[in-house]
Amino acid sequence: MLVVDLFLQSILNGVLIGGIYIAIAVGFSICFGVMHIIDFAVGEWLMLGGFIGFILAGMQVEPLLLIPLVFPIFFVVGYMLQPVIQRVLTGRKANVLMGLVFTFGMSIFLQGLALYIWGHDRRTLTSALSGLNIQGLVTIPTLRLVAFIIAGTVTLAFMLFLARTRLGLSIRATAEDRDTAAVLGVDIARVSRLVYAAYAGLTGMAGILIGTVFTIYAEMGLRYTTFAFFTVVLAGMGYLPGILVAGLFLGILQSLVAVYVGGRYIYLVLFLVLYVVLLVSPQGIMGKGLKAE
Amino acid sequence: MTRARSVALLLGVLTVLLILPLFISTFWVRIFTGTLMWIGLAQSWNIIAGYTGYINFGHGAFFGIGAYVTGILIRYQEWPLLAAIWAGGLAAGVVAAVIGYPTLRLRGAYFAIATWAFAEMVRQAALVSPVTGGAYGMRLPALLNETFFYVLMLAITTGTLLASHYFLERAAFGYWVKAIRENESAAQSLGINTVATKIVAFAASTCIAGIYGGVYAYWLTYVHPDNVLHPMITDQMVVMALVGGLGTFGGPMVGATLLYWVNRLIWLNWGDSVLYLIVLGILICLVVVFMPDGILGLFRAKRLGARGIKGNLRRLGEKVKV
Repeated sequence: MLVVDLFLQSILNGVLIGGIYIAIAVGFSICFGVMHIIDFAVGEWLMLGGFIGFILAGMQVEPLLLIPLVFPIFFVVGYMLQPVIQRVLTGRKANVLMGLVFTFGMSIFLQGLALYIWGHDRRTLTSALSGLNIQGLVTIPTLRLVAFIIAGTVTLAFMLFLARTRLGLSIRATAEDRDTAAVLGVDIARVSRLVYAAYAGLTGMAGILIGTVFTIYAEMGLRYTTFAFFTVVLAGMGYLPGILVAGLFLGILQSLVAVYVGGRYIYLVLFLVLYVVLLVSPQGIMGKGLKAE
Repeated sequence: MTRARSVALLLGVLTVLLILPLFISTFWVRIFTGTLMWIGLAQSWNIIAGYTGYINFGHGAFFGIGAYVTGILIRYQEWPLLAAIWAGGLAAGVVAAVIGYPTLRLRGAYFAIATWAFAEMVRQAALVSPVTGGAYGMRLPALLNETFFYVLMLAITTGTLLASHYFLERAAFGYWVKAIRENESAAQSLGINTVATKIVAFAASTCIAGIYGGVYAYWLTYVHPDNVLHPMITDQMVVMALVGGLGTFGGPMVGATLLYWVNRLIWLNWGDSVLYLIVLGILICLVVVFMPDGILGLFRAKRLGARGIKGNLRRLGEKVKV
């Protein structure tokens, strides 16, 4: 393969993967904006989404068609769980850190549970599109392209919902200034609950995409929590437009490091970039994220 | 308790612990050695997270740095163990002081994520670096003397507890870190050098973790990212301090003993760690929701209630009419 071709191919792979990272990070970021919580269990929600897809797909169903089904399942789970997290955040010894520790416990629990049920095996959701390619100047794996389109559509739909609907407006208002929004009549408790539910739904759904494009296994959470943190921190916590840039950047960076430096250096580079960005500009590369409390 | 009685009690407990290995089997000596190690580790995390209020999600990295530095010095430079572990602790403390200056400017969740990222970075570096043996790890000469490790661990843990008790509960330093935890800006306006205080607390807590890392490496005779840099190491310290009581002196002792014994019990009966993960996760969630002050918090609340406001005022030297 020619030098230019290889470069274009790596960029393209990066973009296609970046689309999925964007879908993961959107819910995560709005959840931080509204509830001021950093969910350490984000990777575990993905993992559970993947496994539920795996169970459902066992009945010879195209996994990509399961996406509309998985969303409501996780929406309900998130909706039920949110009051507990809210209690931790606003309880007697309320602070952000207790919320952090709670989700941290949740992630350990979910990982243990998944290991107990499914063991250490890796599984893939086989789609009808698996293995197909679109040949051109570069090779485009059809499945990845479709996953990218699905992720993009979902992200776009969610952003439109935030921009155009009344509920979306209340969510944005709450994210911007909780107290003022409450004074102006926004039902903060309801908004927070819906946002957490939507976040869980989106993340569970993204698990299916991950499951079809990559593999799912019980310990995958750490990997994707890393990606979600990376995307959201680079974008600026709570700043949604930044996610589009940061997600694509993560995908491309990962792809380029894998091709030109070596696969085993990916995480070293990612964590280094994440750490340095946090030190230099905690509000993200565009400087528009929320300030720490 | 008067001072004389505390000293007598401390000496009594130490004597019992010192002669304990004479009466129990090697298996139990190992269990006690592990318990002592986790008490010290949980306490070291408690210094920065519980007392200073900076949740360090990368504490395990400094344990690992200590383990690797000790391992490399013993294996390639043929240092004696007792010299190498101090070097390991010192290395961890120096690294912490260097990264502490920029990292401790971050607050709340940003600090937690930054330390977490740093710890993962260290783990990845250990996996690819040739000095550390990468994914193959590093074998150390074996010293098969369990009593030696027990006594060593007992000495280090006693030192850790005495030093942290003096600095955090008796000396002015303790007031400085607690002031930073409660309100950093206010602490600064009172003339406390918050930057220096935070860095010292961070370096001291990580130095202790590094020393334990070195001992652990030699005890295990095998240094590998999965042994000494596993995310689980930080997780355990967090849970132990939290279950016992964050920011209290006795909390980590109670939490570490309880959790370590639960861990060993599960390991003995089922031989796997998956169940332990589940128990650990549920415990964290329950503690955070129902008793954020930990086990010690339950007793403390009762005692404070019994003594009441009047008792507290009297203790402060106020005259109260009953």
